[in-house]
Amino acid sequence: KKMASKIIVVLRPVKSIVVRFCPFEPNVESTRKFLQCIYHKKIQATNTNCEVTADVRHDGSEPVVDVTFADGDRLIMKGANLTTGEMLTALASRCNAKDLKEEQKNKKKNP
Amino acid sequence: GAGAGVGAGAGAERCPAAWLPALQLLRRGSKAVTRHWKAMHFQRQKLLALTEYLPPRPAVPPRCLPRHTPEGHQEDGYVRVLRRQVEETLRSSRMVAVCQYNSMADEDVVTLRHFLRKHNIHVKFFLNEVVRPVLAQSKYRNLLPLFVCRNILLVSPETRAREMLRVLKGVPQVNLLGACIDDTILSRQGVENFARLPPLEASQGQTVAALSLLSSQTSSLLQQGPAHLTALLDEHIRQLREAGESTEPPPGQSTAND
Repeated sequence: KKMASKIIVVLRPVKSIVVRFCPFEPNVESTRKFLQCIYHKKIQATNTNCEVTADVRHDGSEPVVDVTFADGDRLIMKGANLTTGEMLTALASRCNAKDLKEEQKNKKKNP
Repeated sequence: GAGAGVGAGAGAERCPAAWLPALQLLRRGSKAVTRHWKAMHFQRQKLLALTEYLPPRPAVPPRCLPRHTPEGHQEDGYVRVLRRQVEETLRSSRMVAVCQYNSMADEDVVTLRHFLRKHNIHVKFFLNEVVRPVLAQSKYRNLLPLFVCRNILLVSPETRAREMLRVLKGVPQVNLLGACIDDTILSRQGVENFARLPPLEASQGQTVAALSLLSSQTSSLLQQGPAHLTALLDEHIRQLREAGESTEPPPGQSTAND
């Protein structure tokens, strides 16, 4: 299986990412690793406008990753039972799909 | 002539005495050493195919055999030294803050260290596997679930939470997870509330004022009755004095008889 840190995500269509977790809970490891991978300089370099926020709470809530895209879509991933790789591949696939749509729209506009 | 003769002589060295061809054609086509891949002689091919190495295969594949768990590896001396360092650090600090560390540029790390050092806060990197056993035995047991993924410890002999929070706010890659200040385990909200507290002298003054408030209220309540009475009597005396200077002061005598 591919290591989570090797998965490259192109964050161009992403506006902001909020990672919410409660560090004293036992199920936050994959979410924390996800946050760590997002902060890698290669992924940060793909989009410097993307704001990544870490929301550290203490209310026993589940770990949640909330991604807001530039065209208004939202992707909410509940990290309690997901692995880091799964979350990253899900985000990467959606980013690529949006990128493709953007390119097709641009091509249609400027033939 | 010469080639065939040489071939027969060389053949006698290579092959056993039982099999010796009468004539060996060696100079056939190309030479022995060529610039292209030369096809192997068929007999050579057969020989090599026969003598290929076949690795021995066990009857049961090794992954089906019961695997014995690796015995507890001997503790490394280096790990022991690191653990002693961790214990030393924890013992000498009043404030221990645990933060998640996401990769930062090197110069950012140096700048962060510099600013925290100004407030006498030290930045320590420890591996989780080193820290976890030390924590499990010390009083910081409840901080154990925080130590997954990459963390850094901010330790300080003073408890300057406000400055630490201000510095960390400027660094988005370091997320404060929790802290233990003066033997009290605090979450992130706890640290923020702690930072908002007024300094020790002001809170001491406030406590003293609150405690003395009750007693001062009691004393003022107790004194209210007699004070009121005294004021009334004074007013009465004044009125009497104004009314008639000649009349004897009866209220003084009447009160003395009671």
